[in-house]
Amino acid sequence: MAIRDQDILRVEIPPMNRMEGIYLPEVFRGFATTMRHFFTSFGQGRTSRTIQYPEERREHFTPEEGGIEARNFRGVHRLNRDEEGRVKCVACMMCPTICPARCIHIEAAPSPWDDREKYPKKFEIDELRCIFCGMCEEACPVDAIELTPEYDVVGLSRQEMVFDKEKLLNVYDVTINKKPM
Amino acid sequence: MEAPSFITAQFIVSAAVLLIVVHVILIGVAYSIYLERKISAYIQDRIGPNRVGFDFGLPVLQKLFRGFGFWGLGQPLADGIKFLLKEDYTPPRADKVLFTLAPMVIVIPALIGFAIIPWGGVWNVPDFTIPVLDWHIKGGPVHVAGAAVNVGIIYILAVAALGVYGVTLGGWASNNKYSFLGGLRATAQMLAYEIPLGLSLLAALLVVGSVWPETIIRHQVDHGWLILAQPLPAVLFYIAILAEANRAPFDNAEAEQELVGGYHTEYSSMRFALFFLAEYSHMVTSSAFFVLLFMGGYHLPLIPWLSPESTGLAAVLLKFLVYFGKVMLSVCFMMVIRWTLPRMRYDQVMMMAWQAAIPIALACVVLTSLMVYADLRGTIPLLLSNIALAGAILAVYPFFPKADPNRRVPLYGSRFNPMPGEVVSHAPVHAMAREDRPVQGTAPAR
Repeated sequence: MAIRDQDILRVEIPPMNRMEGIYLPEVFRGFATTMRHFFTSFGQGRTSRTIQYPEERREHFTPEEGGIEARNFRGVHRLNRDEEGRVKCVACMMCPTICPARCIHIEAAPSPWDDREKYPKKFEIDELRCIFCGMCEEACPVDAIELTPEYDVVGLSRQEMVFDKEKLLNVYDVTINKKPM
Repeated sequence: MEAPSFITAQFIVSAAVLLIVVHVILIGVAYSIYLERKISAYIQDRIGPNRVGFDFGLPVLQKLFRGFGFWGLGQPLADGIKFLLKEDYTPPRADKVLFTLAPMVIVIPALIGFAIIPWGGVWNVPDFTIPVLDWHIKGGPVHVAGAAVNVGIIYILAVAALGVYGVTLGGWASNNKYSFLGGLRATAQMLAYEIPLGLSLLAALLVVGSVWPETIIRHQVDHGWLILAQPLPAVLFYIAILAEANRAPFDNAEAEQELVGGYHTEYSSMRFALFFLAEYSHMVTSSAFFVLLFMGGYHLPLIPWLSPESTGLAAVLLKFLVYFGKVMLSVCFMMVIRWTLPRMRYDQVMMMAWQAAIPIALACVVLTSLMVYADLRGTIPLLLSNIALAGAILAVYPFFPKADPNRRVPLYGSRFNPMPGEVVSHAPVHAMAREDRPVQGTAPAR
């Protein structure tokens, strides 16, 4: 749509006073700021915000220090298991419906168990399309899908990054200690 | 045995200095890229390159360089290897000859500017013999510079001005509108800033009364550095060399937000690296120029070895180190400027040259001429006159008519600023653009 005149917001720039009009004093104040940051962060000093990644990880820090809070961090998905080790999902299709990236694909089938009608025969999440918004987790009525604190997943192909049901259940096995249900 | 007549002590020393300086500069340029990354990182509270060592992942080298490779010092070398191994691509519609020529044209002026910088002053060489050829070389005072020419300053001005050809040719030959715009911008900017550069240089040379680099340094040794006597031309000169070297805040020729990469958008591999190298060696050349003119060259106060009178080998080496240290300080200051000031808008860059820098530089030249005519060449009178000029500029400045800095220029066919009386349709013309619907299948049925 074309931008119309009434859509344009005109910002009036406040006039500069005499000292600002010369620019040079403000420039030197800018130098003072940069040099302060230079000296305080020199060699990972006081103001340096860097985490030396492979040796230090965000899990090692509190959220105040730039770390992650494992209970609500939105990393890779997992499919939770119930007490008997079966997949908890009831294939209600809430998560693929709400997913804004449309990365969840479920094929439902009649459940082989008595406690529910359906279960997911296929459950695939394309982790490359996922935007990790956590809507699926919010939508799930039985807390079957959850996001874990795992963030360093790699794959050698796009196909590898489409997580199927087995893989998502495996993620559950790996992360259950880090993030209890 | 007699040596051929052109092989004098000066010839040998000049050749040696050129050989050393070119390699020091080339390696120094690679490491000043590293330095810039480090400085920018610390300014932005980051760490910067700190992983790459000298082993490059090879097991043999890992054994050799065990314990080295801290602070990412291998990064420039790894970058160089990467540049050499990358695909060198020429766009199909590019002007092949000019496209190949442009990196050379930009690198050569940037590298030959060093020739006249008087790195080590004068060295009193003793008589010596070249061993194998058995040539007896007569000693004597010798200039430790690539070329001891008495028009040194004019040479460096001429050579530095050639650098713009590389930028313009690169932008033109790429057959890319962004490159072309970058080249145009660079041309206009260099033309504009060449004038305050020359004028502020003139203000310094009028005081010295010579264009011989050694004389300029000797004058500063005797009378104090010219940055103290002529602060206004020094600031103008520094601004102008920033603009000449295409450095921030004047790097409009490669403004990433507007022009993708500017004049070197289409370049890849080593040819891109040559543009990069030229930019940084331009910084080093212009810093050396600035140090020569305003910062006393190799001179430091209170150190007797650093006066032009001491001509021993140790003094020469110390002078070399001091000179290079000053140049590196100036380069670091350029980097701090880059990471402090935002890029100026292009019309503001040009306004600053034509409406501010050139008039002030002209006033400086007139004032310095008057002072020299009145034979007041000392530091104090010149400094006072500079302060008076600055005060006068600040006093007069508010009475100048001000243009609206953000004025809207009407254009034919513009949706935003049509010419007066022009009727512009806001609706898009193309049928597909007018359809204006979301992707099929997602919109609810109406």
